[in-house]
Amino acid sequence: MVLGAVPAEYYLVLSAAVFCVGIFGILTRENALIFLMSVELMLNAANINLIAFAFYWGNLTGQVFGLFVMALAAAEVAIGIGIILVLYRNFDSVDVTEATTLKW
Amino acid sequence: MAGVFAYAPAIAALPFVSFVVALLAGKYMPKKGALAGIIATAGSLGLSIAVLVTVFLGETYNETLYTFVGGDVPFELTFGLLLDPLSAAMLVIVSLIAFLVHVFSLGYMNDEGETGLPRYYASLGLFTASMLAFVFSDNLLMAFMFFELVGLCSYLLIGFWFRRAGPPSAAKKAFLVTRFGDYFFLVGVVGVLTTFGTAQFAGEEGFPALAETVLNPETTAQAVNTFGFEPATWFAILGLLVLGGVMGKSAQFPFHTWLPDAMEGPTPVSALIHAATMVAAGVFLVARMYGFYALLPTVLAVIAFVGGFTALFAATMGVVKNEIKQVLAYSTISQYGYIMLALGTGGYVAAFFHLTTHAVFKALLFLGAGSVIIAMHHNENMWDMGGLKDHMRVTYLAFLSGSLALAGIFPFSGFWSKDEVLYEALVHGLGGSPLLLGAYAMGLAAVFLTGFYTIRMVLLTFHGEARSDTAEDPHGVRWNVKLPLAVLGVLAAVIGFLNPLPIQKLTGLEVDFLHQFLDSGPEALLTSSHHYGDLTHDYAGYSVGTIGGGETVTMLAGAGVSLGLALLGAGLAFALYRGAEPTRHTEKLGGLQTLLMHNYYQDEYQVWLAEGLTLRLSGAADTFDQGVIDGVVNGVSSVSLFSGDRLRRLQTGIVTNYAALIVLCLLVLLGAFAALGGWF
Repeated sequence: MVLGAVPAEYYLVLSAAVFCVGIFGILTRENALIFLMSVELMLNAANINLIAFAFYWGNLTGQVFGLFVMALAAAEVAIGIGIILVLYRNFDSVDVTEATTLKW
Repeated sequence: MAGVFAYAPAIAALPFVSFVVALLAGKYMPKKGALAGIIATAGSLGLSIAVLVTVFLGETYNETLYTFVGGDVPFELTFGLLLDPLSAAMLVIVSLIAFLVHVFSLGYMNDEGETGLPRYYASLGLFTASMLAFVFSDNLLMAFMFFELVGLCSYLLIGFWFRRAGPPSAAKKAFLVTRFGDYFFLVGVVGVLTTFGTAQFAGEEGFPALAETVLNPETTAQAVNTFGFEPATWFAILGLLVLGGVMGKSAQFPFHTWLPDAMEGPTPVSALIHAATMVAAGVFLVARMYGFYALLPTVLAVIAFVGGFTALFAATMGVVKNEIKQVLAYSTISQYGYIMLALGTGGYVAAFFHLTTHAVFKALLFLGAGSVIIAMHHNENMWDMGGLKDHMRVTYLAFLSGSLALAGIFPFSGFWSKDEVLYEALVHGLGGSPLLLGAYAMGLAAVFLTGFYTIRMVLLTFHGEARSDTAEDPHGVRWNVKLPLAVLGVLAAVIGFLNPLPIQKLTGLEVDFLHQFLDSGPEALLTSSHHYGDLTHDYAGYSVGTIGGGETVTMLAGAGVSLGLALLGAGLAFALYRGAEPTRHTEKLGGLQTLLMHNYYQDEYQVWLAEGLTLRLSGAADTFDQGVIDGVVNGVSSVSLFSGDRLRRLQTGIVTNYAALIVLCLLVLLGAFAALGGWF
């Protein structure tokens, strides 16, 4: 198989790269929608790992978990969008650095 | 006849019912609750007499009726009844005086148009009920509870006229001073319970019997918890603790200061407090647990000395007082000193005898003073009286009978009882306990002073010319005043023949009825007077000594000396204060008079103790508490506050910062794992 020609390390590097892009997004951006997207990237980085290892070991459990993660991500987006809506209603923006009132 | 014991709780319950009735319905009743009280105390009196007759016929009663803490505990807390010769006789005295005081109150309170009468009769009912319950208590804890109730009721009654300035303050003083003594009593009760596991007064299971078993060298002592002390030392400590309560209630030096102030209460209340209830409770308690005290020679000596000293000390102050009730107040303290003296010198019967006669003649004197006060429109100063004997014949004769009894003039009751008290002190002092002779000497000196101030009081009040307008035309009194006076006047004259010991010694007739009565009762109760006699002989080393060969000579000599001194005092008073216009001889005493009028500055020094010493100590303690204890706590918390204040700046509320921290920590963690795991 074509895939088999690619060593597992490549998948891991890809996954780590995608994960770091996600983290970079969260750390640098202020828009809540970009936050959501970054989180999606991080989740999918995890998915790449799951699938790659499932393929590597020939075990379907990893793929099943990949499906679970997708469902979870969908749910997370639904809630996240809801939160962003409320954020917008209260602060008239989706800038996360402005919503700082929930502290001491 | 023993069936009457089933109704004995009603002796205290009846006045309690009258308390409830007077409190709730008193203002709708024709005499504002007086009738309820009179009926209730009459019922108590009847039942008490029935009990006395039953006990006289040889039945006694010692049962636990109700256990309020029981089951799986180290010691049970119970209510019960002990009806033996001592408590049966005391019940009759208390209910008789209470009954007469209720009747007298009709004249003193109702006829004078006082307000707040339901409150008055309710307190009076509760007072009587708690004293009666105290008397028939079968254990120390129950006695303590009713002892406290007695104190509460005296507080209510002394402060009855609470709108004036004096009475509330006097009431507070009485309550606080007696409470101070009761504090020791409470510790003593707890001590007795933890030491013996029981607080029963009588029987083989009672704590006096247990204490005797422990102290008896012939028996193998059963272990009681004495907290590391020698048993005798520990028992003496317990005895002294309980004695604290006794000295507070019975107004013994130095706790006597509340009693003269208690004169602020209505006069019938004074009669009740002094004759039968509050003050008598203290000495009655010593008599009740005499089986315990008889084992402790040190405590007995303390009792004797406190008693003798109080007798003399109070009598000196009585000499200079100008208010009729003040004189009586100091004579009460003095007479209770005699009772304590008798108890301390092993004269158990003598003490109870004097308690009995004193109850009668002091109630009489107070009620007589009340009658005089009605007549004088509530002026109590003896220098405004004079010549009252022609206007109030019954009062005068009754008062005279009481006064002669108080002064100890033959053949009135006080002579017989006081003589027996002094006789007990003398013979036991001669018989190997020479310390007691000191107490005897003080008691003897007090006899002279008693004779003096009593006759001075009578002369100033009733004889001579009227020294004010009210004394010339006194207010009349009605039957409800005269009846109690007449009853008590006769009793004060004759009640001494309950126990005329000199007659018995001289003629050999068996007329020492009180001795025989207090000696009766089943052996198992261990409360008979010969048992106490054995105890004082075996454990306190008291034995009878005589002068001039024989008890009869000793007794007659002692009686002669005390009668002579009483007559001397009375004669001196008569010489000084007779005539139409007596002069104020006490002013010639100069500085001594000032000292006596100020009661030896006892009040001042006690106020100083409270304000100068205790208040300052507590102020220093407060400073220490606020500064050091609270300072440490505040210091600790301020460290937390400061660090918390700094640390919370971590919480910016910006989600990006949190994420950055998490990532940073993750990286640090990775780095640490890498370094420790040997990746490099």
